[in-house]
Amino acid sequence: VRLVEYAQDAAADGMWHAAFVRSPLAHARVLGVDASALPAGCVALLPADTAGLGRYGCQLKDQDVLADPARFVGDIVAAVAAPTRAEARAAARTLAVDYEELPAVFDPLAAVAEGAPLIHPEAGASARDAVAIDLRPLAGTNVCHRFRLLQGDVERGLTQAEVVVEETFRTASAQHAPMEPHATLAAWTPDGRLDLTTGTQTPFNLRDDLAGVFGLAPERIRVAAPPMGGSFGAKTFTRLEAVTACLARKAGRPVKAVLDRAEEFVTLNRHPAVVRVRVGAAADGTLVAKQVDCWADTGAYADCGPGVATKMGYAGVGPYRIPHVRVDAHAVYTNLPPNGAFRGYGATQSVWASERAMDLLAERLDMSPLELRRANLLRDGDRFATGEVMRDVHFEECLEAAADAVGYREDPRGKGLCVLLKGMQTPSRAAIAVERTPVGYAIRSASCEMGQGIRESLRLQGAALLGCEPGQIEVPDPDTDSSPFDTRTTSSRSTHMMGRALRAAVDDMSRNGGQRGYGEIANDGGLDPDTGQGIASTHWHQGAAAAHVSVDPDTGRVTVENLHAAVYAGRVVDRAGAELQNEGAMIMGLGTALFESIEHADGQITNANLSDYSLPALGDLPRRMSHELIERDGAEAHGLGETALPPVPAAIGNALGSLGISLTDLPMTAEDVLA
Amino acid sequence: LTDWLAPESLEAALELRAEHGEDVTVLAGGTFLAILMNQGFLAPRRLLSLSRVPGLERIAVVDGELRLGAMVTHRAVERSAAVRGGWPVLAEAFSLVASPRVRHQATVGGVLADADYASDPPAVLAALGAGVVLRSARGERTVAASELIRGYYETCIAADELLVEVRVPPSPSRAVYRKFRSRSSEDRPCVAVAAVRGRVGLRVVVGAVADRPQELPEVCALADTSLPDFELAAEIGRRYAEGIEPMSDSRGSADYRRRVIAAEVRRAVEALA
Repeated sequence: VRLVEYAQDAAADGMWHAAFVRSPLAHARVLGVDASALPAGCVALLPADTAGLGRYGCQLKDQDVLADPARFVGDIVAAVAAPTRAEARAAARTLAVDYEELPAVFDPLAAVAEGAPLIHPEAGASARDAVAIDLRPLAGTNVCHRFRLLQGDVERGLTQAEVVVEETFRTASAQHAPMEPHATLAAWTPDGRLDLTTGTQTPFNLRDDLAGVFGLAPERIRVAAPPMGGSFGAKTFTRLEAVTACLARKAGRPVKAVLDRAEEFVTLNRHPAVVRVRVGAAADGTLVAKQVDCWADTGAYADCGPGVATKMGYAGVGPYRIPHVRVDAHAVYTNLPPNGAFRGYGATQSVWASERAMDLLAERLDMSPLELRRANLLRDGDRFATGEVMRDVHFEECLEAAADAVGYREDPRGKGLCVLLKGMQTPSRAAIAVERTPVGYAIRSASCEMGQGIRESLRLQGAALLGCEPGQIEVPDPDTDSSPFDTRTTSSRSTHMMGRALRAAVDDMSRNGGQRGYGEIANDGGLDPDTGQGIASTHWHQGAAAAHVSVDPDTGRVTVENLHAAVYAGRVVDRAGAELQNEGAMIMGLGTALFESIEHADGQITNANLSDYSLPALGDLPRRMSHELIERDGAEAHGLGETALPPVPAAIGNALGSLGISLTDLPMTAEDVLA
Repeated sequence: LTDWLAPESLEAALELRAEHGEDVTVLAGGTFLAILMNQGFLAPRRLLSLSRVPGLERIAVVDGELRLGAMVTHRAVERSAAVRGGWPVLAEAFSLVASPRVRHQATVGGVLADADYASDPPAVLAALGAGVVLRSARGERTVAASELIRGYYETCIAADELLVEVRVPPSPSRAVYRKFRSRSSEDRPCVAVAAVRGRVGLRVVVGAVADRPQELPEVCALADTSLPDFELAAEIGRRYAEGIEPMSDSRGSADYRRRVIAAEVRRAVEALA
């Protein structure tokens, strides 16, 4: 047995532990923090200590190390370090914070309404692009980013439609709930370097963000990223690292922070969203026009909400040929904990809306939902609404496979389908280094292991390229001091991008003496935020799901009799790992579909524990659950870590729809089904 | 937390309980207390752990009566050959609580003393006519499981008493526990129905819908004159739904619970027919 050292296990000589003082109010100015009762032998980080530090944020620098005003219940307004975690927590309770309450808003539509309290009144002026996404904040509003996609003329298109469906859909917030919570160890070296060991999917983004906070050159910061005990998007960008580093500086010693489960619910969640769809078709089912309006509630800080809103927007178009398209997607501030990256990244929300709308349209057209989709699916060489020409297209294959698995053609009653397109982070860059070791090779990259299996994927790909056994290949943990740059471990990109970089590195090694090689690839692209035109994704995640459900007519309880997902994999690198990704994504999709929902009262999360917040368990698995990885000879490895999640809710929702139970909001609770 | 008390005999535990009264929080398995403490809802100054008191984890059958010590875990009830043989409905109800991890830790005494409205065991213990032994330095008394819980997180346990044992009379052969979950399979019940039919007639106890388990003897009496059939089962379900004032929580609204009570009580009574 080889034990994994997680960030939670990290330790350093003389290390102290952190505890955080969190706002009990959803929006409040901090008038003062009284630390006079702080026990001796503890250190408190107070507002005055962080004056002069820069702000952080991966897409918009809108977050201070200590919040003032506090913008959500749980926002960190002060912090304490002490020799033990228990002492730190007790000491944190001795700090008395004086607040002046401000008006707050908890719903994205209320937040964009006239007269809503402004959560970042300066937004629009401080916009700074940190991750190559062009931001369009709307000054004087709570909209921190607006993404639009325009193709043709939707209003004209809708006049040509025989049937138009218009519906508004909502999705709930969700917790990633990784087994290992957020954990960070921060230390300052005698020569003034910041040395961090932290559970993160984004070591280089984090390094750059912290460089801005402390006014350091990025190279003066080291981020070591041990494997994570799960993340699902939770451990992206700057979470506890800035405040823990400040504590360590003030304490003059290493400080470690490990969150408890309740704190996870105020650290990062999934964007709840409102998605309005208007879609029109000719009498024969040919789609003529589609309008998608999204409001993604990004909580108190933008985090990657602008990126999520953008992906939500274009994924909501769906994998269809539609001449007239208009997307208007907003990332909106509210006084809830920040929402950010979550497996499915925006697609989950808009695919739900878009694919439920397809079934509503099929019903109005008196057409089979399968045939309506097939008649409009993108095929090789078609142009997507962003203007890009689609290659290696397998939507129909995925959809057919899913439909066949539940016997959809034989009898569609109680059955539902969903097909989706999801993009990969674009533009992006990946680099990798290979070197000889006494027993084989070391492959060094910044791809972070979070249980998704990137190390095994690199070992298997390396072994095939280098002609050795996977066991001869060592894959050290990412470390910004020694790993080559990578954009980040997100958006199901690592096996695809790093696999290509690895090929280049092995070529480089064989050309240059066989001892070491370096490979780097870059994918250009990106979308214009005002027109949505450009390159959304350099390779597409394509998938479909089909569900067969039954309903207890007296209680509304849904039983998923059969669930199948089909995912385009291009070329499978690690079959066992890929299968686990599909299964994990489907199970997360079940929770999203049927019961996961973060609830709050006046901004206070009311189910911030795993007893009141319901996660899917083994007993919730469908009676029958299966999936497949669709491959093509000669294809590149495609990302597949998320693809099977977003189609699950709509497949189940459409299965309910086929029984006359037409729902618009997630989760589809037993109570909603019965209503 | 300043004090951790872990007496090694029941007498010592009772003494400490009498000495500290309301100022001590009794700790059994800790599955419930830990959540409250982690979330800051409860910050006890003193914990009285029963983990070292010998004998409280014993399962015994005495004169046909099942005796479960306060520290018997849910898992032990679920797996006990004696319970499975003589009180299968009890083994079933305990086996449906949360997950194996929780059941290995949570105790019979803890789940009753917590008086959490959303637990499985109280309803089934009440329906089986179980008694709860409360002991103090003053002596011992037995209260019916159906009388123990007085309201949300409130029991009739006095400040100097400890819940030491649960006694369950022989189980009628017809007994059923239906746990309706509106969310995950490991969730607490949205509606819990325990129904038994024995020499004293029909008993139906509905848990997880109000501050304490709900029982409507006058409705159950409908079954005294005729054997329950489908029609009578539906009637009893309807009357339970009318007679209970359910609460709303994240597992379901009051209106929804009413509809589920009607269905689940009907099904439970049908299962006894």
